[in-house]
Amino acid sequence: MAAVSRPRNIVLTSLVVAVAAVLAACGGGSNTPTNHVLVVDKSFDMKTADPQREFEVSGGIVAKALYSTLLTFKGSDSATPVPLVASSYTASSDAKTFTFKLRSDIKFSDGTTLTSADVVFSFNRLINIKGNPSFLLSGITVSAPDASTVVLTSSTANPAIPFIIPNPALGIVNSKVVKAHGGTDQPGADKSDTAEAFLNTTSEGSGPYTLKSFSTTSEVDLTANPSYFGAKPFYNTVVIRNIQAPTQLIDIQKGSNEIAIDLSSDQAATLSGNSSLQVKASPGPNVFFLLANDNPKISRITPNKHFQNAIRYSLDYASYVQLAGAGAIQTPGVVPSMFLGALTPADDAQFDLTKAKAELAASGISNPTVNLGFPSDFTLNGISFSTLAQKVQANLQAAGITVNLTGSPISTALADYRAGTEQLGLWLWGPDYPDPNDYLVFLPGQLVGLRAGWAAGADPSLEALGVQASSSTDNTARGHLFQQIQRQLNTDGPFFPLIQPGQVVVATKGVTGADYNPTWTIDVAGAGG
Amino acid sequence: MRFLGRRLAALVLLGIGITFVAFVLTELVPGDPAAANLGQRAIADPAAVQAFREHYGLDKPLPVQYVLYLEHLASGDLGQSEQSHRPVRTDLSEFVPATAELAVTSILIAFVLGISLGILSAVRRNRLTDQVLRVISLGGISMPVFWLALVALYVFFFKLGWVPGSGRLDPGVLPAPHVTGLYTVDALLAGQFDVFVSAAQHLILPACVLAAYNVGLLTRFTRSAVLEVINNDYVQAARAKGMPERTVVLRHVLRAALPPIITVGGLAFANVMTGTVLVESIFAWPGIGQYAFHSATTLDLPAIMGVSLFVAVVYIVVNFVVDILYGVVDPRIRVA
Repeated sequence: MAAVSRPRNIVLTSLVVAVAAVLAACGGGSNTPTNHVLVVDKSFDMKTADPQREFEVSGGIVAKALYSTLLTFKGSDSATPVPLVASSYTASSDAKTFTFKLRSDIKFSDGTTLTSADVVFSFNRLINIKGNPSFLLSGITVSAPDASTVVLTSSTANPAIPFIIPNPALGIVNSKVVKAHGGTDQPGADKSDTAEAFLNTTSEGSGPYTLKSFSTTSEVDLTANPSYFGAKPFYNTVVIRNIQAPTQLIDIQKGSNEIAIDLSSDQAATLSGNSSLQVKASPGPNVFFLLANDNPKISRITPNKHFQNAIRYSLDYASYVQLAGAGAIQTPGVVPSMFLGALTPADDAQFDLTKAKAELAASGISNPTVNLGFPSDFTLNGISFSTLAQKVQANLQAAGITVNLTGSPISTALADYRAGTEQLGLWLWGPDYPDPNDYLVFLPGQLVGLRAGWAAGADPSLEALGVQASSSTDNTARGHLFQQIQRQLNTDGPFFPLIQPGQVVVATKGVTGADYNPTWTIDVAGAGG
Repeated sequence: MRFLGRRLAALVLLGIGITFVAFVLTELVPGDPAAANLGQRAIADPAAVQAFREHYGLDKPLPVQYVLYLEHLASGDLGQSEQSHRPVRTDLSEFVPATAELAVTSILIAFVLGISLGILSAVRRNRLTDQVLRVISLGGISMPVFWLALVALYVFFFKLGWVPGSGRLDPGVLPAPHVTGLYTVDALLAGQFDVFVSAAQHLILPACVLAAYNVGLLTRFTRSAVLEVINNDYVQAARAKGMPERTVVLRHVLRAALPPIITVGGLAFANVMTGTVLVESIFAWPGIGQYAFHSATTLDLPAIMGVSLFVAVVYIVVNFVVDILYGVVDPRIRVA
């Protein structure tokens, strides 16, 4: 008898719980956000809220809101750094010394005044933690002659510094409080700094918001900083939620005061007739490119310059743009269209199958077969690398080149790419900072150049141009030099720039200022209603 | 007690075996955790790579890493996650309750509906009700869960507005102070009824989606198990005594049919606890499934090990509970 009644009791109890849950659910979202809450939907790559350790898209959004930087950009602009914590700055004529004068009215969220000591601590901490963003200040020494002056001294000419400084990873922390919680800026900080856990619970910055709650997997809640020195943000509370793109597409159509920033161009196209939403699609800063390895030990085929030209002419660039959807453009060079030194559409590579076949014949290689490596599980801006790779395979097949697709999951494909062992590779470069110096990596002997088997000394004239461009202090001259570099890359280099995919930002009607910026994606403090 | 002791010993041995296999497999994967976790610039900086390897102990030979892991494991330290920068134990304490809340709700729904519909289907064998229920249960088993999740979200959230969207709570609603990690329970314990309502509203749809497969499965198993015993002599004798049919079915038929249902139910629960990644992804539910997926894609060895151990423990505990339940519902097993 008892044995029978137990399951029955379980069933009855379960029924009661289920009914209670259903009844509770029938309220249908009674706690929907009120008007002072801004909701940002983002597929998280979040690791930390510690500004000196974060270098992910999600982390950049959070750090931008919590911490102020010496310089910043306005809205979607990334060409003109403007003062923020600094009242002004000067650069030496050799672009090795940059002097920043600080404002005196800036306070951290606990009321402490921000001084040059906090800047020095934050920057040295970034350098000595040896984390993802540490390279931003590589070769730079930070000093403070007085409480309101900070001097950055570079071992080599570095005109990109004003473009690097606005990065949220260079957000200034309250040095006294962070030190008190295990932070250090001394050499060895990679082992001895223990402040990350603290900074994941409490923000110690002077930005427009303070941290209310932080989770790397569900959501980050921010609340307005009453001590903020700038204009009070419109939204008192910001909730940044970890939501995948398909769900963002549904959520944004029901939301209010909401921004979605991971929708693909195709997904955004389904919203075009929705009058309650604003859809902005513009060329994003990521450059997708193909490489042919120049190292004869990796392939006897791909270093052949005629073979490389055959690839260049066989790619149907317009079809890649079409595949990428709204906002996408063909990229004429490796520097994206919104940065100094970008090429114009007049420099676009042209699809010409006849020329491709002629170049292949001139290469002296008959029926070539090569392997194409790519991250098979990776999708960015709604574009799957597997789909792109199939398109490359079809294009090259039409010219007489057989391509074996040898894609693998990104964690393993990256190893081959970074080791420079791919015959052909399909990859992207995202900007670390909005300056063409970040694209010198494509030159011989540099980071990406080596991945394409392009060793130092392979093209002395191009390398000399790179040295000249990286040290020039005149931005106009730098722009021309980078254009010259890219034109030469397009004729002599082993790289084939394909597209800049569109960057889509969707906001509900009434939300203003939801502008995409390559350095921090979205500035939630800039959003209005 | 001997039975319990054997089970616990098996748990320890299996746990060690799982950690060993996970270690070896992770080493065999032709990827590099540093490459998977460091950015495009940092990976080119030998100092940054060295700092990463030293921090996570990857600079030591694999056997040394494994021995160190076991040493730490003995003191309850599961290591630090490379993706979240937090102790794996802290991560698990956050993600496991999220999945458990979803899984328990889902399995309760599945048991109530699956067993009820299975009995109904068996009692009305080959009639219209039975045929309809068989088709529905087949649908529940056959439908891909990610598709069902998207459709359910579209219909019940977007079109009808009966339930809120994704996540565990409405935007801006903070969970009650952590006691169990189950938001509904913690909210009730803290007396925060508004948080409870929000958590329950967010829970119901993903739980129902997750339950769909198991409702179908349990309906079919229950029907089959009930049909096996429904015409046995002792059942006929009960009917001949004049017992109401409801009593006959619930007291005599269902009791005899329960062991196979418990077996399937136990496995279903273990599957739900460890296989929710798609539902968690679509409903933005920060559970163990998403954590496992991200760990695997970033070669986050400590997290992979932690999740593997968790999965092993779930299956062992569920099997243990199922064995105990056999004895409860079937005296012959209890005596044996």
